[in-house]
Amino acid sequence: MIAATQNALSATGITKRFGGLVALADVDLTVGNGEFVALIGPNGAGKSTLLNVLTGLSAPTAGRIALDGRDVTRLPTHRRIRAGLGRTFQHGRLFPRLSVVENIMTGAANRAGRGEAGLRAHALAQLRRMGLERLADQPISALSYGNRRMVELTRVLACEPRVLLLDEPAAGLNLGEVEDLMARLRAIRAEDRIAVVLIEHNMGMVMRLAERVVVLNFGRKIAEGTPAEVQADPAVLAAYLGEGAAHAGR
Amino acid sequence: MRSVLVLSALILAGFALSFAVSEYTLRLLNMAVIAAVAVIGLNFAFGYAGLISLGHSAFVGLGAYGLAILTTKADWSPWLAAIPAVAGTGLAAAALGYPLLRLKGHYLALATLGLNVSFSIVASNWIELTGGTNGIAQIPGLTLAGYKLDGEQTFLWFGLAVLALLGLAALAIHASRLGRAMMAVRDDETAAAMTGIDVTGVSVTAFVLSAIYAAIAGCLFAAHVHFVSPDDFNYAHSITFLSMLIVGGEGSVAGAIVGAALLTFLPEWLRVLGEGYLAFFGLMMLAILVFLPTGIAGLLRRWRRPALPPQDTAAGLDGAVSR
Repeated sequence: MIAATQNALSATGITKRFGGLVALADVDLTVGNGEFVALIGPNGAGKSTLLNVLTGLSAPTAGRIALDGRDVTRLPTHRRIRAGLGRTFQHGRLFPRLSVVENIMTGAANRAGRGEAGLRAHALAQLRRMGLERLADQPISALSYGNRRMVELTRVLACEPRVLLLDEPAAGLNLGEVEDLMARLRAIRAEDRIAVVLIEHNMGMVMRLAERVVVLNFGRKIAEGTPAEVQADPAVLAAYLGEGAAHAGR
Repeated sequence: MRSVLVLSALILAGFALSFAVSEYTLRLLNMAVIAAVAVIGLNFAFGYAGLISLGHSAFVGLGAYGLAILTTKADWSPWLAAIPAVAGTGLAAAALGYPLLRLKGHYLALATLGLNVSFSIVASNWIELTGGTNGIAQIPGLTLAGYKLDGEQTFLWFGLAVLALLGLAALAIHASRLGRAMMAVRDDETAAAMTGIDVTGVSVTAFVLSAIYAAIAGCLFAAHVHFVSPDDFNYAHSITFLSMLIVGGEGSVAGAIVGAALLTFLPEWLRVLGEGYLAFFGLMMLAILVFLPTGIAGLLRRWRRPALPPQDTAAGLDGAVSR
């Protein structure tokens, strides 16, 4: 077992019960510094619930969460974000009454000691890096769906996270936008050494980006390993295709 | 920048009117200015942070009673009395905000309404302190550098100066990180928390700011009318403040001023309707909520900027869109 301090994020023994329903059962998830982990599983496997527990939107029934070795299990969401956690939502959640650059500035405001001009400069630099600077003064209502999601990602990056949690970032994007998103994610990781946890149904994207894949099914971790290992795992095949397929595959 | 110009224009219009209208209209203008201060405050809670408050009048009352009690029972100067009256109201809002703001929407509206009703009951029954339903009379007026602000015209000048300062402060907050955080909280609490915004802290701050503006309005009211009674601060006034903000346009300082002025003068202009005014008022509010959900300020914005820029096409987006 690696010491907790060496991981950017470590969640141990996470259990979440909703009344009689066990949404997560004793799940462990560790993410090393700058590591790219994909979290996959069929619908209802508990992936989004795990992200909600990690970000403090919902309290775990049991378990412990550490960021950079520091216990954050009891911290409210905004304190975890300030401690280096970042997250995007399944459909991109922006603040429609603020312009694009103002949306980014809300994220940038986490870092103390930046004046108004500094905040704006930081936000514009982030937009430039994502190739979105021409959208800076647009209202949110004028953005395409794909751009909304990219602006949301930029806002999270403006918080300068150490660990980035992405909830189906490619859902609803066209092929060109998915390619663009993958290129951006690679560039961001290369520059910032941000650790990433990716929830994604687009298996092509998972297999090309992830260094390690964690598979959830019915709230339990059923497999973990490199993309190739996981793809060959009979338990994973059974979860996705049913028991018969797994036996046939053997 | 544009909003500073609009604010200056409104203040100058009030100043110009002060030389041109009757004593009676001057009195109404003073009432409008005092209401405008309170409504700019309500805009922090409702317009920016989305907290529906039907108890705003109670905070106006706390400020007014604070000044009335300290000046008449303890013989303080009204200037000095205004400081603890306003600060105390802010503290009260902070203490009430933490438990109250756990509620949302209709529940918060009901709880703040209850707060206002409680205020009226206490003000009517704590007779030794508040004078009960008789209220407190003979509140001293303001004196500035040896000059008495007791005429309607001179008080209006002073009121307009206070409104200008508080309006500018509100615009500065609007454009600050606190202003953005308040709007983010209203738009999407979860996403706001996910950008590191302390949702509870920002909500309570908005609530306290709104109470401070309300208390300043209350002090102006007490020093102008020289008399306070529980009826001046009942929940009906809270509903009026909310109506003023919605008519003028929530989320806008100029809208708050325009709404306050319009709803102060409208009952006078429509006096011919008699009891029918309430029916007219109800229908007008309904029409505004349906056809002008962003109020008068929103209507003006729409005229200025008739269409949104085209969707993500290169032509419309080469940085030509400026403010």
